[in-house]
Amino acid sequence: MATTPKLTAPVPAVAPAVDATGAIAVADVEVALESLSQWQLAWRRFKRHKMALMGLGIFGVMVGIAILGPILIPYNPLDIPGSPIPGGTGPALSHPFGTDNNGRDVLTMVLNGARISVAIGFFSMSIAGLTGVIIGAVSGFAGGLVDNLLMRLVDVLFAIPFLFVILVAARFFGQGSVVALILIFGLLSWPLIARLVRASFLSLREADFVEAARAVGVSNVRITFRHILPNALGPVIVAMTLLMASNIVLEAFVSYLGFGISEDQTSWGNALSNAQTALIFGNWWWAFFPGMAIALTVLSINFIGDGLRDALDPRARL
Amino acid sequence: MTKYILRRVIQAIPVIFVISLVSFWLMIQAPGGPEAVFNQNPHITHEQVLAWLKRWCLEQNPDVFGVVREYLGWVGIWNCDAGSLFASSGLPNFFPTFLGGGTNGILHGDFGLSIFYSQPVSDLILSRLPATLILMSTATVIWISIAIVAGVTAAVRRYSLYDNAVTFTSYVLYALPTFWLGLMLIFAFGVTLRIFPPQGIIDARSSPAPWGTNAYWAALVANPIPNLLDIGRHLVLPVITLVAVSVAGDSRFVRSAMLDSLNQDYVRTAKAKGLPSSRVIFRHAFRNALLPILTNITLEIAAIFSGAIVTETVFSWPGMGLLFYEGVNNRDYFLLMGLVLIGSVLVVVANLVADVLYAVADPRIRYD
Repeated sequence: MATTPKLTAPVPAVAPAVDATGAIAVADVEVALESLSQWQLAWRRFKRHKMALMGLGIFGVMVGIAILGPILIPYNPLDIPGSPIPGGTGPALSHPFGTDNNGRDVLTMVLNGARISVAIGFFSMSIAGLTGVIIGAVSGFAGGLVDNLLMRLVDVLFAIPFLFVILVAARFFGQGSVVALILIFGLLSWPLIARLVRASFLSLREADFVEAARAVGVSNVRITFRHILPNALGPVIVAMTLLMASNIVLEAFVSYLGFGISEDQTSWGNALSNAQTALIFGNWWWAFFPGMAIALTVLSINFIGDGLRDALDPRARL
Repeated sequence: MTKYILRRVIQAIPVIFVISLVSFWLMIQAPGGPEAVFNQNPHITHEQVLAWLKRWCLEQNPDVFGVVREYLGWVGIWNCDAGSLFASSGLPNFFPTFLGGGTNGILHGDFGLSIFYSQPVSDLILSRLPATLILMSTATVIWISIAIVAGVTAAVRRYSLYDNAVTFTSYVLYALPTFWLGLMLIFAFGVTLRIFPPQGIIDARSSPAPWGTNAYWAALVANPIPNLLDIGRHLVLPVITLVAVSVAGDSRFVRSAMLDSLNQDYVRTAKAKGLPSSRVIFRHAFRNALLPILTNITLEIAAIFSGAIVTETVFSWPGMGLLFYEGVNNRDYFLLMGLVLIGSVLVVVANLVADVLYAVADPRIRYD
């Protein structure tokens, strides 16, 4: 740990050693007289993480594409032109990503797919995060019988082979609806978050500042949500970003199998779903571009998660 | 220790019970049912559909009690033929068969019949087991070796160019969707270059008999080399797919476990004593890093069937993952239940093994 000789504010940040992932090797050295909130400090640390910033940029572009793309591109993703070309046509100027069997523009499918794929990732993550935080908080704060019951529920959800249930639920209940898929993904992926929250609650419950709050007469609900939760949130946010990435992949796989989004909507998985038969005829572009979109998004989210892990780690503040 | 294991096993029973109940409930309550195949057939009357369902111990649009009856029938407590809790001998149906209980249900070791194949579920699963085992054991051995070598070497040369390259590669591989990587490999090596077969486990044209039949096994034993080579060629692409994605996560895990252990005081002491660095790395650091790695591997082995679903569907590999996919497609309740049961028992057992391994490998951990 480098020492800071002066206490003048703000000390110019010492350039930290950064590895390829951008993980900050040396904690940033900063003694500031201006007071910064936890979130401002976290943002400062996050900004040092080059790969995370890049991830944030790519992800921002993806979200921008999801919002603006369909407006800018002249084709309708579901519009089937008069004369379908079997096997589709390769990338060309008029169709930069080629067309599929029915003559639909793959670029349009990728742009439109961003909407549903990112939305499924985001909303299922939010549901999982909310459920996980509430159940973990109740479990960790209440303890005793409630804790025991809830943790047995978590055990059950952990022991179910995840993909089994997802596929069964998506096929039997999903019926091609986006909302159903979001609910299924969200309601089945919270146990990890609940465990994380519970673990930090168990240790924070005994912390001095909680003791102090209780002595002053703060209500249990307020202690839970105002005093303990913000301190327990770091690992949860990291886990949630990773969950979003994995749910985007999951949607793609479920739709690829034909159990996910129905044919009259476009997601990245849906765009891939008929690609396998087309691969045999050599039209790689149909599968390649939606897959690249998924891979890029997941990569950028994983980098963001990594940056957040360092930024939100309270020990990194030293 | 024995007491601890026993307690964990007893705790696992209700977990498995709840899992099977919930999955059964989910499937039965979902709109539609296996009788949907008859919807298009005008010659089949409603009575025939009901009789057909009755054969499977199912009811059309069951109420809560109906679902419970169906579930208890699958478990072996309810006797569907008689419609009662008692076997024909008058004793409770869940009694062991040789004591006069029933013969249906898991409690009597009967997984039931597959609705789609009309074959015992246990036979179907057993017939698909070899393909999954071949694929998964090959992939697991390769990916664990690569992950350990890559992770340990990267940790030893922390922040070097090599370490950065390993880290970056694993990030990229980790982001690739497994099934998409499989598709791209099929396109590149199976379709364009034609080096490796894109699908299946054996070459249907050159093989002596269809995969999994007794004739095939006989031919395999009689003429092992060309047949094994054939399987080997088909193994390449699915194994690369599985290894690429799994190595990505595991090499990161091994690296961080190794870094933790390299930062310990005893490693510094060992270095200070002047021990050769290979001895420090392998005897002092790696042996201690092995503990979390072992646990992680155990847990991953339990997830093998989930992984198998992805790879096997992409490569049409005739294993249990593909069987599950077919089961979902055909609404094959009892087949799916059998697979879910096996999958969840595996997870529970792997968790237990991981905890026990922890105690065996680290004498500081004691379960009482």
